[in-house]
Amino acid sequence: MSEHKYEKFVQKDNVVVDGVDLSGEWNKMYEPREILTYDIDGLEKLRELPGAKSINACYQCAQCIGVCPVDNVGSYGPRKIFRKLQTGMDFFDHDDLWLCTTCSNCLRVCPKEVDMIQIIPAAREQAVLNGNVPGEIQDMLQNVAEYGNPMGESARKRVGWLRKFEEPVRDLSKETDPEPVDVLWYVSDYFSYHNRGNDAAKATVRVFNRLGIDFGILGKEEKCDGDSQRLVGESGLFEELAEHNGIQFDKYEHNKLVVSDPHAYNAFKNFYPAVTGKEYNLQHYTQLLEERVDDLAKLMKRPFPKKVTFHDPCYLGRHNGEYNAPRTLLNAVPEIEYMEMYRNKEQAYCCGGGGGGMWLDGLMADNSAERLSENRVKEAVEVGAEILAVCCPYEVSRFEDAVKSTNNDGKLLVMDIIEILDYCMSEGEDTA
Amino acid sequence: MSSKPILVIGGGPAGLEAVRGIADLGYQAILIEKADFLGGMPISADYAALTPDMRSPEEAMGEMIVAITDNPSIDIRLSTTVVGSKGDAPNMEVTVKNAGGEEILEVGSVIVATGFKHFDPGKETQMYGYYEFEDVITLVDAEKMLKADEFARPSTGEAPKTVCFIQCVGSRDRQIGNQWCSKVCCGIACKQAIEVKEAAPDARVFVFYIDMRTYGFWEDEIYWKAQEDYNVNFIRGIVTEVTKRGDTLVVKGEDTTMGRPMEVAMDVVILSVGMEPSDGTVEMADTFELPLEPHGYIETTGGALNTVETTVPGVFVVGAAAGPADLEDSVSMGGSAVMKACSFIRKSELQPA
Repeated sequence: MSEHKYEKFVQKDNVVVDGVDLSGEWNKMYEPREILTYDIDGLEKLRELPGAKSINACYQCAQCIGVCPVDNVGSYGPRKIFRKLQTGMDFFDHDDLWLCTTCSNCLRVCPKEVDMIQIIPAAREQAVLNGNVPGEIQDMLQNVAEYGNPMGESARKRVGWLRKFEEPVRDLSKETDPEPVDVLWYVSDYFSYHNRGNDAAKATVRVFNRLGIDFGILGKEEKCDGDSQRLVGESGLFEELAEHNGIQFDKYEHNKLVVSDPHAYNAFKNFYPAVTGKEYNLQHYTQLLEERVDDLAKLMKRPFPKKVTFHDPCYLGRHNGEYNAPRTLLNAVPEIEYMEMYRNKEQAYCCGGGGGGMWLDGLMADNSAERLSENRVKEAVEVGAEILAVCCPYEVSRFEDAVKSTNNDGKLLVMDIIEILDYCMSEGEDTA
Repeated sequence: MSSKPILVIGGGPAGLEAVRGIADLGYQAILIEKADFLGGMPISADYAALTPDMRSPEEAMGEMIVAITDNPSIDIRLSTTVVGSKGDAPNMEVTVKNAGGEEILEVGSVIVATGFKHFDPGKETQMYGYYEFEDVITLVDAEKMLKADEFARPSTGEAPKTVCFIQCVGSRDRQIGNQWCSKVCCGIACKQAIEVKEAAPDARVFVFYIDMRTYGFWEDEIYWKAQEDYNVNFIRGIVTEVTKRGDTLVVKGEDTTMGRPMEVAMDVVILSVGMEPSDGTVEMADTFELPLEPHGYIETTGGALNTVETTVPGVFVVGAAAGPADLEDSVSMGGSAVMKACSFIRKSELQPA
């Protein structure tokens, strides 16, 4: 084995397999370096898929690599995908297919408009058809198909967070012949089922009530919005969910559809209309509250003298262009010391949860030096923040895990913006 | 009193445009062309189509030729060469020669439009085997095949499955002595790649390049079009050498964006040969005592601000005789030289020496 013909591509310092120590030299692996053919079958297959043609336009300028959050922690990147496809990679059976978080930072900078946001789901759809899906994703998809949420919890439990909760909430699914509501609030999976999401859901209710917002929820009739399922290649499941939720939206008369989840926002705004034939009068909760920021400011009596930074969710910011609403709310918080991270707004770093990343921790760990959420948490700490404010239900749990794994416990707290607003509007310390 | 004529040497795009302009401004032009036809390299080298607009060379050059035909102010001499010059402009005596013998022409100014020649890949230092392997051809060979609608693998006569272009052959190379970019080869390779895909749709076409230099509008009109609409594969990294294994050519080099060596079989290898000063350009430099610039083309005096004036008063140079030039460059220089030559004569008439 001469050195020039082969390239060492892995050697781990400490490996023990079935009790046998294979550290260092013993697990050194080589791959041939020489390219002996440009087998572009895979590239030809990919570019024929609907929405995937733009992969063909890549001219290797590599601007995407500079902003790809995954390349930042590993060696994946859009322009590399194109070159690997030219040198024989079977993308439909490759880890690279699943590493993209669809954060859209590459598309933002790509001079040739290579649209990974369409290419990736198109390619994954093929993998799904071939039954070639990572186990983590497979489990999630089954849960969504069977239960209407990725956790695999029952539909009834979707309103479990309302138990022993004193605040008035209209669950429209329980009302016979319900009166119209001004705001139909789509709560989302993580606010409904995750314990930290529940906190934010309750905070939302308190804030809405204090502002006198007339709102109702779909209760057990609400299902997963389907956007992440669409992005992992399950367009069939997405369409089912869109049809289901679309019917629920129609059932209850309302003026506005308000979501807590940017992924739901993206789905309802940009992808439901093609399925349901309807456009929605849609707002993210930060947009709804931004309109009432003066009322909100008057009601926020309790100071929040903390150093706070904000993580832009990819699906609110880059995908849908909303950067101001969350900042307007945070800057209305009394005594807040607001600070930006280095990578903010259009340039914001991805938390790693989008495009199926939420359910790909295992695969990601095999292909990267650290989680994207860990990289982001370190940045928040570096700029001196005490609070990492978010407004996407995926993020609280992701960032809280990352705070622990990066040993920043006690240094950085992760809070949804709605929790901060709720805190400042509340009377005593016990509600914080 | 009518002015002395302006002598234009070379009937390619730059010369044709110059002659048309001289006549349009009311001056007399004499056009000397070595070949027995007009149109220059696009015609003599059998180009299949012009870059970037894919126009037929006969049509485009034909248009330029019609514009100067049957004009009493224009004297066209085919199969004629310039063999000597005496005196200074505006009182020059230029000797021309054809089958009928020599003749001395009294001219007021000269425009040299003698163009370039294609690089001969036999004198390369890279080992591309142009004179060894039948299936290694040049852009010029490929133009001829495409024009005749006979693009095929030379050794078999069959449609090739894999075709690659190797860029910068004979250009940008200190060892060869050609330290210039020939400007047009990237665009022409893209244009030919499109034509190859049209002639052999099943062929996979590759372009090995150092930098793609498709200036200005050639970027999307030719380069992007080849990649996006014709699925041509652009691989950064120049092939170092071409070898043969059995019946198959193998190109060898580095795929630099992958950081890996490559050794890939190709049915046809097309060498993107660049430009060198034509023999006529070198001869005219000698005849009119025009200094050459360091690359060996005729020197101009004004740098970027005067692309046509030589160091000899009243003698101008246009097109690829002054350095690598595309059609736009050549025609634009033709127009510029007309303005300068005519004003040279006009000034000399107003203020006789």
